Amino acid sequence: MFYKKGNMQNGIKKALFIVMFSLLSAQVFGHGDLTKRINEKTREISESPKDFRLYYERGLLYQQHIEYTKAQEDYLKSRSLGNTDKALQYRIAEVNYLAGDYNAALKSITSYLEVDGSSDVKAKKLEAQILFELGAYKKSLYAYRYVIDNMRDLRPEDILEYCDIILAENDKNQVAALDAIESGLKLLGPNTLSLQLRKLDLLKNSGQIEKALDQYNYFLLEYDRREFWYYKKAMYLAEINRPKEAIISLKLATGTIDRLDMKFKNMNAILKLKEQIKSLEAQL
Amino acid sequence: MIKKSTLILLMLFTVNSFSQTATADSPIATSIKNTPSVVVERGPYLQTGTPTSVIVKWRTDTATESVVNYGKELGSLTKNETSKVLTTEHEVALSGLTPNTKYYFNIGNATEVLSESVSGDMYVITAPTPGTDQFVRAWIIGDPGTANAFQRQVRDAYYNYVDTTATNTGKTDMMLFLGDNAYSTGTDEEYQSAFFDIYYEMFKKSVAWSCLGNHDAYSADSATQSGPYYDIFTFPKEAEAGGTPSGTEAYFSFDYANIHVISLDSHHTSRAIGDPMYNWALSDIQNTTQDWIVVLFHHPAYSKGSHDSDIEDRLIEMRENFMPMLEANGVDLVLNGHSHSYERSYFINGHQGLANTFSLEEITNGGNTVGATGKGDGKEDGDGVYQKDSAQPEGAVYITTGSAGHISGGDLNHQAMYISLNKLGSCVMEIEDDGNGGQNMVIKFIRETGEIEDYFTINKTGVTITDDANEPKAEVGAESKKVLYVAGHDLLTITMDRNERLKKVKIYNNIGKLVKKSRKKTIDVSKMPKGMYAIEITTKNGTYIESVTIE
Ligand SMILES: [Fe+2]
Repeated sequence: MFYKKGNMQNGIKKALFIVMFSLLSAQVFGHGDLTKRINEKTREISESPKDFRLYYERGLLYQQHIEYTKAQEDYLKSRSLGNTDKALQYRIAEVNYLAGDYNAALKSITSYLEVDGSSDVKAKKLEAQILFELGAYKKSLYAYRYVIDNMRDLRPEDILEYCDIILAENDKNQVAALDAIESGLKLLGPNTLSLQLRKLDLLKNSGQIEKALDQYNYFLLEYDRREFWYYKKAMYLAEINRPKEAIISLKLATGTIDRLDMKFKNMNAILKLKEQIKSLEAQL
Repeated sequence: MIKKSTLILLMLFTVNSFSQTATADSPIATSIKNTPSVVVERGPYLQTGTPTSVIVKWRTDTATESVVNYGKELGSLTKNETSKVLTTEHEVALSGLTPNTKYYFNIGNATEVLSESVSGDMYVITAPTPGTDQFVRAWIIGDPGTANAFQRQVRDAYYNYVDTTATNTGKTDMMLFLGDNAYSTGTDEEYQSAFFDIYYEMFKKSVAWSCLGNHDAYSADSATQSGPYYDIFTFPKEAEAGGTPSGTEAYFSFDYANIHVISLDSHHTSRAIGDPMYNWALSDIQNTTQDWIVVLFHHPAYSKGSHDSDIEDRLIEMRENFMPMLEANGVDLVLNGHSHSYERSYFINGHQGLANTFSLEEITNGGNTVGATGKGDGKEDGDGVYQKDSAQPEGAVYITTGSAGHISGGDLNHQAMYISLNKLGSCVMEIEDDGNGGQNMVIKFIRETGEIEDYFTINKTGVTITDDANEPKAEVGAESKKVLYVAGHDLLTITMDRNERLKKVKIYNNIGKLVKKSRKKTIDVSKMPKGMYAIEITTKNGTYIESVTIE
């Protein structure tokens, strides 16, 4: 059997296409050097100054180059030349946000979402981020909740950002933040590291000592190499003034290091850890 | 339309010419059957290979069921995995496989086989169990996605290398893509012509891994993990292939034999210290027990090619934020792309500065290079191989190898580089026994001409023969050593000076919980679970705490 593209005529067309593509490639692939690409767009614009697509494209390049004012100018120019594409409206909001003009950003994203019927997850996220910067935490939370519930593939970073907004809205609301972490663990996998780390921080910051210690134990039991976790747990035990338990944890850290495979024993990270253990032991 | 007879003739021809070195421009399948009603447009290709599982993906022109038939013998694919859901984007996970074992497979739907290889070139070899010391070959491909003749020449040079090399001929355990796999914007169409249509022969017998490049990122969105890059690849978010769960396909790790591979996203994800990717990478590298650590990310830590690591923010951040941490924890090899050239460093450690501050003459803080041979070419037949051992576990080679599809020059004068070439090519990494209980990591840069223009070796001692006497002798708790325990025995004995009198003994388990109290000098530990314990001994003179492993 043949694949669709195995057809001979297509094969010839394809070969021609490849040749043409190769010839073109020299220019197309001179990537990375943004300045060069911006200059190239500027040249194209000088040739067809009424082409709103070119202004949009140069705006994107300026945005990548962290030249937000110029990016915005190009976006607005593109719009004035008749660009009614939704993507442009989104970029206008985004570049306002990046430039720190949150009120303008909110205005643009609101009109974007109105046109769209507010189902665009990416735009909702930007709206939440803008609202957060404006201190409208309740509204921001509401928008972000939509993101969490509707994003196809959530990242741990999204859950952590949501937690930040919860705590910005009410810094005593550790329960809601912990709930968000737990729901994140359900969605992304029960051992997702950055969520488990945030859980530890939340427990420590809210003074839930025994639960925080359980969380250290979770790391100890979940991980193959424990020396760093024993030390971290010892630091916390010392911090909450439980020196004997801290010493036990440090002894277990030292015991673990002694039993490490030879190849790890002289690694800089382990040598540093040994010093840290020694100095903490001396303080206890 | 071509006449059916011609078609069959063509098919016969392609069956004969089908081998790993075949370099036809279009995917050609190998069965001689009636033309199926459903056409495989993409794949099959292999993802997230583990010792016991692999994911097979392919695309069909019309929605149909997904079937993978597989087995250890080519003529008898007796097992199958089926999904009845009608789809064009097929993704089938095979599980319960035996490690280090070759499984032939074909793909199809409920009624017929849609793609197979009668010559046995469609297979998966499952990963060895983590920690296994054996020969491993990885093909390293940076910035390939031009879909042009250059990309094909580089590919063919590797195919020719692997098919004619003297040892482990034809074996490619994995493909490591360094990003920018499909220009110009990483769209699905571009991925078809620059990725699937180019490497289809290797994809059906070698697992492909990647990190995100800036050109992939035009179409892919890490924030939503959507777009072609994230659709095409299925990477382990929950440490399915070893390592630490990252919860995202943007950065992840996996184990293969005794190698730990970490793939980072240097484009979209925050590269700041203390942010999620950094925290994850730190925990991940500090949890591995593997002999070799390889890290890949797109934006080069060191480069003076078409990108400059002295002035571009992503490159600077990867170097300054991630490299000190990765080096301190034993990274051996760093693979980057983005600059379309080949730049390969000396055996370096702890530099992380600008290009012109790197010096072979540097001596403070151990210098910029490692060991007696670190300043040299790393060649066995040259200045000598780079050396790592338990007394000297630091040192890494950085390779910026982004010329698998095109070259684009630059100053190419980074001082950390032993060699900088504005030439097309890809790299091969081979890990092999050194015959002395250690292993060699041999890297070769294979030009599009087939010429090997650079190579070097990192030798690591004590890999295949590890120090069994790892249970510490007298050095534990050197100040006292009051606990005497011999592995495998039931009794633990407290020893002390004649003038000391034991008051009590407390035993804490590996999470510091008190599990046993005693007043005796000899304690039966036969019923205690194996593992590490802390023993607290109180005598008239004071309290001592020591650790012991009961086994
Ligand atoms: Fe790139």
